[in-house]
Amino acid sequence: MELNYFLLVAAALFCIGIYGLVTSRNAIRVLMSIELMLNAVNLNLMAFSNFLDPDDIRGQVFSVFVITIAAAEAAVGLAIVLAIYRNRDTVDMEQFNLLKW
Amino acid sequence: MEFSNVASQLNAWVIMPEGVVILTLLSVLLIDLIVGRTSVRWTPYVAIAGLTASLGALWLQWDPADPIAFLGGFSGDTLSTLFRGIIALSSIVTILMSITYVERTGTALGEFLIILLTATVGGMFLSGANELVMIFVALETLSISSYLLTGYMKRDPRSNEAALKYLLIGASSSAIWLYGASLLYGLSGGETRLTAIAANLAENADVPPLGLIVALVFVVAGIAFKISAVPFHQWTPDVYEGSPTPVVAFLSVGSKAAGFALAVRLLAAAFPLVSEQWHFVFTALAILSMVLGNVVALAQTSMKRMLAYSSIGQAGFVLIGLLSNSVDGYASMLFYLLIYLFMNLGGFTCVILFSLRTGTDEISEYSGLYQKDPLLTLAFSICLLSLGGIPPLAGFFGKIYLFWVGWQAGLYPLVLVGLITSVISIYYYIRVVKMMVVKEPQEMSVAIKNYPKIQWTLPGMRPLQVGLVLTMVATTLSGILANPLFTLANNAVVKTEMLQATLKSPEATETARAIAPPVATTPPDPQG
Amino acid sequence: MNLSEGVQLVSFGILTFLMLGAALGVVLSPSVVYSAFLLGLTFSSMAGLYLLLNADFVAAAQILVYVGAVNVLILFGVMLVNKRQDYRKETGLLLRQLLTAVVCFGLFALLGAVTVITPWQIAEGVTRVDSSVIALAKHLFSDYLLPFEVASVLLLMAMIGAIVLARRDLLMEDPETGMPAETELALPERPRETVVSE
Repeated sequence: MELNYFLLVAAALFCIGIYGLVTSRNAIRVLMSIELMLNAVNLNLMAFSNFLDPDDIRGQVFSVFVITIAAAEAAVGLAIVLAIYRNRDTVDMEQFNLLKW
Repeated sequence: MEFSNVASQLNAWVIMPEGVVILTLLSVLLIDLIVGRTSVRWTPYVAIAGLTASLGALWLQWDPADPIAFLGGFSGDTLSTLFRGIIALSSIVTILMSITYVERTGTALGEFLIILLTATVGGMFLSGANELVMIFVALETLSISSYLLTGYMKRDPRSNEAALKYLLIGASSSAIWLYGASLLYGLSGGETRLTAIAANLAENADVPPLGLIVALVFVVAGIAFKISAVPFHQWTPDVYEGSPTPVVAFLSVGSKAAGFALAVRLLAAAFPLVSEQWHFVFTALAILSMVLGNVVALAQTSMKRMLAYSSIGQAGFVLIGLLSNSVDGYASMLFYLLIYLFMNLGGFTCVILFSLRTGTDEISEYSGLYQKDPLLTLAFSICLLSLGGIPPLAGFFGKIYLFWVGWQAGLYPLVLVGLITSVISIYYYIRVVKMMVVKEPQEMSVAIKNYPKIQWTLPGMRPLQVGLVLTMVATTLSGILANPLFTLANNAVVKTEMLQATLKSPEATETARAIAPPVATTPPDPQG
Repeated sequence: MNLSEGVQLVSFGILTFLMLGAALGVVLSPSVVYSAFLLGLTFSSMAGLYLLLNADFVAAAQILVYVGAVNVLILFGVMLVNKRQDYRKETGLLLRQLLTAVVCFGLFALLGAVTVITPWQIAEGVTRVDSSVIALAKHLFSDYLLPFEVASVLLLMAMIGAIVLARRDLLMEDPETGMPAETELALPERPRETVVSE
């Protein structure tokens, strides 16, 4: 097994996440894309932790924090999506244009 | 590894100011739970008292003998102390202006205070964070509480939309930042402390590897989002317009100061190898911010949006100090941020007062305000003129200092752009002032004609008045008596070991080696 | 190549295929419900990859937090805002998607190139930690103690904030009309004219 395999997979996942972030029209799907990007980061950290830093595994500590905070972010994100759905009755990103100059 | 052994190494008293704020936060939460809704009459003052105590703790800890706490995770050096002071102070003024505003909208003040205090804690930790994990956690504490504050007016579609946009852009920019951080972790062979990263990189590479430049670009994206530099600014006008105004005030000062603290620490400590590249990137960001921020501000009709674009432009001015890469450069940046704190918060206090009395923030509605409310007109004029940089107000000295330092450092194009755009900015600031003092009664706007009688005795108006007068006096005085602030900023830079090490030796690789020894702490033995 | 390496390589291949396929499904699938379930598959196969990287604790945390909490939360979100609606057609959407795909592919090429040409400092001959749980705990209570504590403040605040935003408020009603008062929980500033006309 090689480090590069994992890093390439992480890079691919990150790019898929960015694609979803830019093109999704559903706000919830945008949140999912952000989770994909965070997972890519985690895979990167874990791979480095295993191959470069196996005696100290700082990368694993880092990814535990990333997992924790990603969960908090998802909860807050969904709360905001719910609030906007109640007021606007849609989650289509293209319709959120009250604030434009 | 004995526990007592670790406890003595932690040097935990360095985070006492943050500890005070966290205690305040918890007591506000508990009081709000136990006493109920009636407690909102005095919980804001508990919060203000806590933040003031935290400022006092910061004062006591100025220039500690051993600034490194938590085995390298946090640094309480003078630079971070000053930044933490700026953030705590901006939070105090924000609470003063938010009491009436939040009450008027019918939302719960207790939770608002708790989230605001958490944002303050996050910003304060971010200013001193010295390690990637700590930076990430502090950054997210600040960001997530900012998203919540932005969406706090939850029945208002504008507030919802602003919160959603802020959350999506913010979360993706922090994911991008994290990817850069993970590359840094890998490139340095498994280090997360900034100084250790720089030392390891310098040891193992004479030429900066491509990976480091990619990591730099990714990390810069995260920082530029926080300080809302163009082209990472798209969220700013929308969020500023849709958020409750006190939140906007906090975001434009406290959150932005935390972003600058992060920029200084991360760039100076972790990226000395690619110093040329980050200077190039930030020069581009500064020029774009100054031009776009100040030019687009001309076309705005909403006061909050205008101040949003103006704050983008101001971020560009502050970046000149960061780019000068000298003691004076960093000092001028701190000096300007201190002044900016007073004038910008003063401006927002006036906007809040006006919108509470008239229910609008259209610029055209301000015309003729002088006839009805001279005090508000005076305070707003002083703050706006100071933001525009009219002598003898504080903003003038701040800008002159920044431009002078930039010129000394040979950043001629940057300074020229700065001069031209600040002339443009004077135009739109003065336009508002001129509108407010028009003489003819027929030019008065509808809102002014129906202007309510000024009553400071109404509940909740006193703190607003105190905030107004305080920021107005501070803006005026810090122009005439700029010396103490100037000395403070200068001291903060001179006494910071991290910056000194970067500034002394121009050779990048030398720098990285030079910083590493004095701050390297003994990591705990993993084998136990 | 001995047996265990072969097994590892094959399972790496299967997990990667599952994960990337599911991730593509998340962003491309027309129905957001399928996306949400595919997201769960992505998270689970990611946990498998963590096991290949000798990270048992994080793999368990991945299953518990991501699959158990985040994914379920997202499913709830999908259910609560489940309104069947056809999105209004926007012009130039296809072009935008194509451009984004090209940019993302370019980014992948760049990141891949960085991965391949960087001489990573692979640690060899270093003693691996015996139990990752013990090593993690030691870190969390020594040099990562501060972020650990700050994260607890963050979680408390996120909980309070999410409840405040998501709960349905009993609005104070106007005594005369019985309708909820209009100004409640909204910005005191009037919306701009352009917005009203829409």
